[in-house]
Amino acid sequence: MILRFTAAALLAATCLVPALADAQQANGALYRPAPKLPEPKYRDQYSSMKDQRDLSGVWFIRDYNRRFRTPINTLPPLTPFGKVEFDKRVKAETDGAPMADASTHCWPHGIPRVMNSPYPIQIIQSPGKISIVHEVGHNIRQIRMDVPMPEKVPTSFLGYSVGHWEGNTLVIETKGTDTRTWIDEEGIIHSDQLYTIERIRKVENGENLENEVTMIDPVFFTRPWVKKINYAWRPDLRISEYICEENNRNAPQNGVTVAK
Amino acid sequence: MSRYSFAPRIAALALVSLLSQGIAQAAPSLAGFWLVEGNHDTLTDDKGKLPPMTAEARKRYNAAVAARKVGKYTGDTLTKCLPHGLPRLLGAPYPIEVLEEKKQITFLHEVHHMPRLVYLGEKLPPIDDLDGNFMGLSVGNWNGDTLVIDSAGFNDLTTLDKAGIPHSTEMVLQERMKLIDGGQRLENVITVTDPQTFTKPWSYRLTFKRMPNDYWLKEFACTDKNPDA
Repeated sequence: MILRFTAAALLAATCLVPALADAQQANGALYRPAPKLPEPKYRDQYSSMKDQRDLSGVWFIRDYNRRFRTPINTLPPLTPFGKVEFDKRVKAETDGAPMADASTHCWPHGIPRVMNSPYPIQIIQSPGKISIVHEVGHNIRQIRMDVPMPEKVPTSFLGYSVGHWEGNTLVIETKGTDTRTWIDEEGIIHSDQLYTIERIRKVENGENLENEVTMIDPVFFTRPWVKKINYAWRPDLRISEYICEENNRNAPQNGVTVAK
Repeated sequence: MSRYSFAPRIAALALVSLLSQGIAQAAPSLAGFWLVEGNHDTLTDDKGKLPPMTAEARKRYNAAVAARKVGKYTGDTLTKCLPHGLPRLLGAPYPIEVLEEKKQITFLHEVHHMPRLVYLGEKLPPIDDLDGNFMGLSVGNWNGDTLVIDSAGFNDLTTLDKAGIPHSTEMVLQERMKLIDGGQRLENVITVTDPQTFTKPWSYRLTFKRMPNDYWLKEFACTDKNPDA
């Protein structure tokens, strides 16, 4: 418990300031202030506080940080190859000519990257499927419920996701994520072997959605590692229009982004 | 005929009326996958004629058609991977998934992975309170078996069809959607009101056929492989 608290405090102290700056810079995004509790009049509109398996409604990331770190704020367990690729991307950005990921091209952001965007998401549950509409452009996640992961899956930007409930936790497995997507915005990338397991559950009386993301990729990581993302329930928010292609100042030329 | 014989008739009438009300009140489900029928590159009104454009709009339309003929038309947002906008998106030849919730009907368009969120039981705010954007704001209300969707708050960057019928930021749309052919098809009658562009409101009708329920929307990344470039 003490260790957990220390880790959380460390994480909060080290991430807060850069996270604010990052959010303001991220792809022209306006920084949104810390979420406040929804107005009572909206409370019953979507997500029921009683039903732990009803995740429907609008959620907004709570602890946005463009860098993915482990819960004790260290770099993931990168393989030597993974470290070289990571360092290359960090250096390119420091040198003022960042390398382009999928989102820079206005392509879907990939899994788990799209679950870590400073924009609202809306979860819609229907029989046999869960759809997640992301405000950030062109990202509509589709999760096939209660079906096995096929032996071979087609490659796509958002991968192939299957889900099931374990108690009140929604478990989503994803494979087949296009290698042009990154894991975070700094330089953690992945191979075609990336296997993502998300464990999503309501906590704090339904006001918070916790997503514990496990990433497995033997090319880039020496062992599976975990990153936690939290989202606040925001029935007072609606998904706005997001047009990536309109005046995209990050559009890369020859693979290199030079923001004007 | 004895006056007493009316009682069972009235009771029966009341029952029929109650039943039919019950049927009318239970909104039909539009959930599932739909694909537009026919080609809607060139829109016409319900009489097969060009919509009643103002002289100024007609001039812009003619210029667009002439420019396209010589390959110099630049007004098509699709070539830049920008959205179709409404109402052009409604006639795009790609599947649409409809998801229904108590307070929202969601149309997920496969093309551009464009979501359209329609808020149920609400009224449109004044047009001046709305952002002008590609999709506008849409609110929906059930009227018997018809879903009536009102939309406003558009930019003027898009055209109503591929040919180039223009519109202004004052455009207001009303869609009347209902199931036809025993639920195997969907009808959408769209009324366009835009005094800046049209001399009077005009309507056109789109029909959609139901797709198998086990369809999954395909990923669409326009800037990766733009079919309209």
